Amino acid sequence: MRLCLGLIGALLSFALIASPAAAQSKPDLTVALSSFSTEVLDPVLGGHVVKYYMSLIFDYLVGVTPDGQLSKDSGLATRWEPSADHKRWTFYLRKGVKFHTGEEATSEDVKWSLQRAIGKRSTTGYAGPLRTLIADIETPAPDRVVIVTKEPTLIIPTYLSRSLSTEGMILPKKYIEATGDDAFAQKPVGSGPYKFVEQVTGSHIKLAAVDSHWRIGVPRFKTITFKLVPEETTRIALLRRGEVDITDVGRERVKELERESFPIHFRREEAILTTWWVLPRDGQPTRDKRVREALNLAVDRSEIAQSIFAGYADPAHVPLGLSWAYRDIGFKVTPDMQYPYDPARAKKLLAEAGFASGFPLTMHAYQLPGLPEGKAFAEAMAGYWQKIGVQPKLVPVDYPAFRKNWFDRATPGAFGYYNVANRDWIGTYAFLEKQAYTKSRASDTVNDPEIDAMIEQVMRQTDKDKIGALLRNVYTRLRSEHYGVPVVYLHSPYAASKTLGKWNPGTVMYDFFLDELASSKR
Amino acid sequence: MPLAIIGVFVFAALFANFLSPADPEEQTLRQRFTPPVWDERGSWKHVLGTDRLGRDLLSRIIWGSRVSLTAGVLTVLLASAVGAGVGLVAGYYGGRVDTVLMRVTDATMSFPVILLALILAVTVGPSFVNVVIAIAVILWARYARVIRGQVLTLMGLDFITQARIAGASAARIILRHLLPNTLNTLVVLTTLQVGYVIIVEASLSFLGAGIPPPTPAWGSMISEGRDFVTSAWWVSFFPGLAILLVVLAFNLLGDWLRDTLDPKLRQL
Amino acid sequence: MARFVLTRLLQSLAALAILSVVVFVLARATGDPLHLILPMSASEEDFANARKYLGLDRPYVEQYLSFVGRALTGDFGMSLRARRPVGELIAQRLPNSLRLAAFAMTVSLLLAFPLGVLAAVWKGTGIDRAAQVIAVLGQSLPTFWVAIVLIELVAGRLQWLPAGGIGGLASYVLPGFTLGWFVVAGMMRLLRSGMLEVLDSEYVKLARVKGVVEARVVWVHALKNALIPVVTFAGIYFSILVTTAIVVETVFAWPGLGRLAYEAISSRDFPVIQAVVLTTAAIVAVVNLSVDCVYAFIDPRIRYVR
Repeated sequence: MRLCLGLIGALLSFALIASPAAAQSKPDLTVALSSFSTEVLDPVLGGHVVKYYMSLIFDYLVGVTPDGQLSKDSGLATRWEPSADHKRWTFYLRKGVKFHTGEEATSEDVKWSLQRAIGKRSTTGYAGPLRTLIADIETPAPDRVVIVTKEPTLIIPTYLSRSLSTEGMILPKKYIEATGDDAFAQKPVGSGPYKFVEQVTGSHIKLAAVDSHWRIGVPRFKTITFKLVPEETTRIALLRRGEVDITDVGRERVKELERESFPIHFRREEAILTTWWVLPRDGQPTRDKRVREALNLAVDRSEIAQSIFAGYADPAHVPLGLSWAYRDIGFKVTPDMQYPYDPARAKKLLAEAGFASGFPLTMHAYQLPGLPEGKAFAEAMAGYWQKIGVQPKLVPVDYPAFRKNWFDRATPGAFGYYNVANRDWIGTYAFLEKQAYTKSRASDTVNDPEIDAMIEQVMRQTDKDKIGALLRNVYTRLRSEHYGVPVVYLHSPYAASKTLGKWNPGTVMYDFFLDELASSKR
Repeated sequence: MPLAIIGVFVFAALFANFLSPADPEEQTLRQRFTPPVWDERGSWKHVLGTDRLGRDLLSRIIWGSRVSLTAGVLTVLLASAVGAGVGLVAGYYGGRVDTVLMRVTDATMSFPVILLALILAVTVGPSFVNVVIAIAVILWARYARVIRGQVLTLMGLDFITQARIAGASAARIILRHLLPNTLNTLVVLTTLQVGYVIIVEASLSFLGAGIPPPTPAWGSMISEGRDFVTSAWWVSFFPGLAILLVVLAFNLLGDWLRDTLDPKLRQL
Repeated sequence: MARFVLTRLLQSLAALAILSVVVFVLARATGDPLHLILPMSASEEDFANARKYLGLDRPYVEQYLSFVGRALTGDFGMSLRARRPVGELIAQRLPNSLRLAAFAMTVSLLLAFPLGVLAAVWKGTGIDRAAQVIAVLGQSLPTFWVAIVLIELVAGRLQWLPAGGIGGLASYVLPGFTLGWFVVAGMMRLLRSGMLEVLDSEYVKLARVKGVVEARVVWVHALKNALIPVVTFAGIYFSILVTTAIVVETVFAWPGLGRLAYEAISSRDFPVIQAVVLTTAAIVAVVNLSVDCVYAFIDPRIRYVR
């Protein structure tokens, strides 16, 4: 009996101790996000990583400006240069940069970090291509690193910069060697303006400012906290109550918040929302170019932009068209590339291709981070295709399930979609090499020998103009062959508190440039 | 009163084809978020307004009554059939059979229903049938518990002993003597559970594991409309009202049935 | 008594053992966690390496045995997604879940008592019906919708209470109320029928004859006796609160077990799925066991019936 009473007593007392109140006052910045992606704070072994919080903790080898230009002022490298044959890239490092442990960051740390990033266990997006490309990393002096490549290349600085993934983040060699990978992931140490304080997985990540940092001077906020708040209504209520300073909001809620005079910052064309089908195309209706064109003509892009995305989207007309790269490569979407909304011609094309009475089409429906409208979008697309006689069947899954089907080629011909994060020209090349190059495991929809040949040429090219010409040709062909159904460019709104002040969330994928916001240098 | 409410919705469910003013899946994006008719921007074309894809809400609610009621009733029937079966067998045979069946029941009852449904949804994809199965797979355990308890009490009574002495087979005793005496409980429990199932289905929709689009089910309608509570309140309000009325009606009916049929029954 | 407790304990362990197999199989049926960990460009070889590193390449039976073996020592392995010991994740979340459940329990008791007693005393009148409707209302609306409307009104518009996250006592009010209201109906039913039974009994009649004031008869004599079934079922309701909080936790960004389970399922994080389900089941078992103890203590006959 005593056993029982003890048990109950323990249960009750355990349950009744309320946790201490968390006070919220300024000098602290709180960011509420609907999704955290992976929460492992190891830039390299943590799975697919977003940079929102990582870029505060770590420095990159090469810095970028908020609009994505490589910068000598915000990275560990103060300058870099290629050898004449473009096979040796020398980086000169900033002196006196210290990790949060107090140790100075040297070329040894850079070498070790890069080797770890392109190692076998790395889970970063571009570890594969870098591993194939890099022959050796030399450290002739504590402030100098030389990266030796097997082929002439232009991509090294960009791949190791803040504009792409996390390969270029510089980690403390000694600390990680002493503590081990797991301990490092749980208590990461970098050299960035904010150091790690605590993390409750699935709830929040808290960072605290260093006294002063070469990137931003004396930080404006003592702490920065990222909170995971999946539900939209809750995030907006938190903003209204002043409990958070920045949050991502649904496009539908923008007008309402603007009326209440909350500043809304847009990341314009943050992603292209594009629909594609799982390979192989053989034996599928989409093998016929006319069917692919018909599927494109059946969709009223401006209606989707206006209605489902509340006007905060613009029609997209080029498959995989990452528009942030267009300026760099000199690509222009001409009026004749724009798909009109023409269901009548779509029907005619289907009939010509021998599908007068349509064909069954499987459309997966799922939500994605940054795309809360996912399922409505899938329903709308199915609705348009139904109107030209295609018989779409919506298959609701979650994204991991679809990704597995797609990678295993388990559902040939079935449709999916993704909001591909926009990026600059080298990022775009990296993306095309993954998604449009037949040999890549992730390639889909395209499978075109001509495009494969052009991508292979880009790999070996060191003349920026020639690369531009090749990429222009890739895009022209992607469009003329209708490889996929590009739908809209999404503008992503972020609402801020009224007292936050000026903030430029920038145009770099998966990054907000909160360090710029926290900077006292401006 | 509860019967009248249920009657109206059952009627709507049965004759959805005739009652519904429009195709519930027909989307007209340009007319999305049309408010109900009494709003100055509303029109008689869409009496209760339209949703985010411009589909007629009234039609979706009418068709939704068919989907949601069928899901509720089907799940409960499935669960009660299995649960009553297990409860009767366990109670009648007792001993090892009872121990094994009751441990399985315990294990089932401690598995959170929503988690199981989620696992099933990501494993085989959400669908009407999977939702029904996922909820029923958990729900039967409750019936088994209650019915077994009743059977244990009944087994001690004279008429069962007499039937045994008269040489009645196990099947006969279970079906002719035990089952009829637990029917009241079954009816009450079943009625109360229909509402619960409809609510659980709605919660599953919220988590992305409910009856999938474009099928109009009330739960997914509320779930889809939840982001528009301020900008287009009617999208989630009307299906919410429908759920409220039906579930309330089933619950009150169940309470009333219990008061009349079996006032001592309280474990529900 | 000791023997009764021991038997019940063994039965609970048996149920947990069955559950451990079921959840092991179910978790693995959900798919492949590697698709969420590895990059798009990962090769077959990368997949094989990662599978080996995470121990997912071993035969299922071996994986199960090592999982059970380590679970018995309190080690649930490493989360595939968070790269942290699962035990640590559970330890972070469990107290939050229990606190919320305790708060919700208090809310529902505070609502159920007056409603149940009023309904019983004025049985069959308008008051009875009104009390029943109020109680059942909480169970008749999807909790996520109640939660969203409450957040929009009370937190967003009126700004009286925090909208989400865990903090001081104020942060418990909205999620606690949403969750608590959901189970009022059941508890109120118990109280009402219990009260009806007791009010009808010789014992209460005797009190009345003796001239005890009616209010005292109702609130002291009758209620005391009607409480017993509530205590029994309080355990079950507590477990319902812990296990169904997943929706409320999602809406209120509450770092509890339900949310952890949801994330684990979405990312196919097998060790976490297993640990959460078994932990919840263990809590349910412990609560039920304690309740049985109390009940057996109050009413010794029960020891032999069960």
